[in-house]
Amino acid sequence: MELEWAGVPSIAIVHEEMRGSAQAIARVSGCPDYEFLTVDYPWVPIAIWSKEECLDLAEIMAPKVLAALTGQS
Amino acid sequence: MTTAPQHAYDSYEALVEDYFEKGWTDGLPIMPPTPEKVAAFLERAGLSGDEVLGTVPTREVTCTAQQAAANAVMAGCLPEYFPTVVAAVRAHLHPKGNCHSTTGTLSGAAQAVIINGPIRNELGVASRAGCFGPGFRANATIGRALRLVIRNVCRGIPGFLDRASYSTPARYSFCFGENEEASEWEPLHVQRGLAPEQSAVTVHSLMKMVEATDFTSRNAEGVCDTLVTNIRANGIAGDSWLGEDGNVVIVVGHEHHRFFNEEGWSKADIQQYLWPRLNAPATSATDRMARIGKPEGILIVAAGGAGMGASWLLLPHLALAITEPIS
Repeated sequence: MELEWAGVPSIAIVHEEMRGSAQAIARVSGCPDYEFLTVDYPWVPIAIWSKEECLDLAEIMAPKVLAALTGQS
Repeated sequence: MTTAPQHAYDSYEALVEDYFEKGWTDGLPIMPPTPEKVAAFLERAGLSGDEVLGTVPTREVTCTAQQAAANAVMAGCLPEYFPTVVAAVRAHLHPKGNCHSTTGTLSGAAQAVIINGPIRNELGVASRAGCFGPGFRANATIGRALRLVIRNVCRGIPGFLDRASYSTPARYSFCFGENEEASEWEPLHVQRGLAPEQSAVTVHSLMKMVEATDFTSRNAEGVCDTLVTNIRANGIAGDSWLGEDGNVVIVVGHEHHRFFNEEGWSKADIQQYLWPRLNAPATSATDRMARIGKPEGILIVAAGGAGMGASWLLLPHLALAITEPIS
């Protein structure tokens, strides 16, 4: 949100288990409807991911990020 | 029923200040143990005031239900919590609960109160996110009630019979529930011989709490190996008085529990995997034997919230974990 306020097009990615916390931050920041992209298991909320896991996740998330930033989601 | 001394005060503030002055609190304010409230607690548990819940022979202490009720009121409990407090006091004062040693030790051992069965949800005992910490009345006050009994009845007063070098914040209160809904795992009290519908308390004396973090394992064996490494880094000496029945409690966190669920590991599977590895001979000062007499002495409890790839190890002081049904 702070990047957006600074004029940088942004989209936040949060883990599904942390959705409630992310929404709470959005609410106290005055943006209760702020939209997120979410990641779910098997990617865990906090982890030391292998290179393969990172690449797999990037492959899934990159098109979603692009779509969100270009208004095509 | 035993008649306790009564004191009259002009105000709540005067009462609290006098209790501080007399050394009857843990350093925090208390609720006034009025005769009416104490009677209501006893009635809720179906106990007469002079019923003996346990003794500490070394200290010439006998703990009655009335004394426990007064301390439960002071801790901020609701009357419906009192049967759970009674079970916790009975468990702690079991001879093998070893009150004298576990509350007097230089190590500052604390008591973990673990609640199982339907009463967890009836009382609102937290077993998921934040369950070790503040914010939950049942957890906070049931654990505190046991600690006030230890102080005010069992004479576990710092500098007197409590000789802890540092003590621990867990001595204010440490109570949580098992997250029985997290999986098909057999709850702790069922593993210890009680029926699933029977609510129960297990009191475990812990010398040390160790967080076993593991953000890299992606399977059950990997998590178990991390548990072994962390327990063996501390070691468990065992004790001839406790014999083969010694315990360690492993609180398995949400992110680790997933792997056991996915691979169909039961608690018994975990116990069988861990036991020989814990009891293997030491190889260095940081890889020590963790002497647990039987696989079932490894008590597995599911609790905690999502996020951290961590489980908690509640390493024992000189006592057995005692499970008592809640009447």
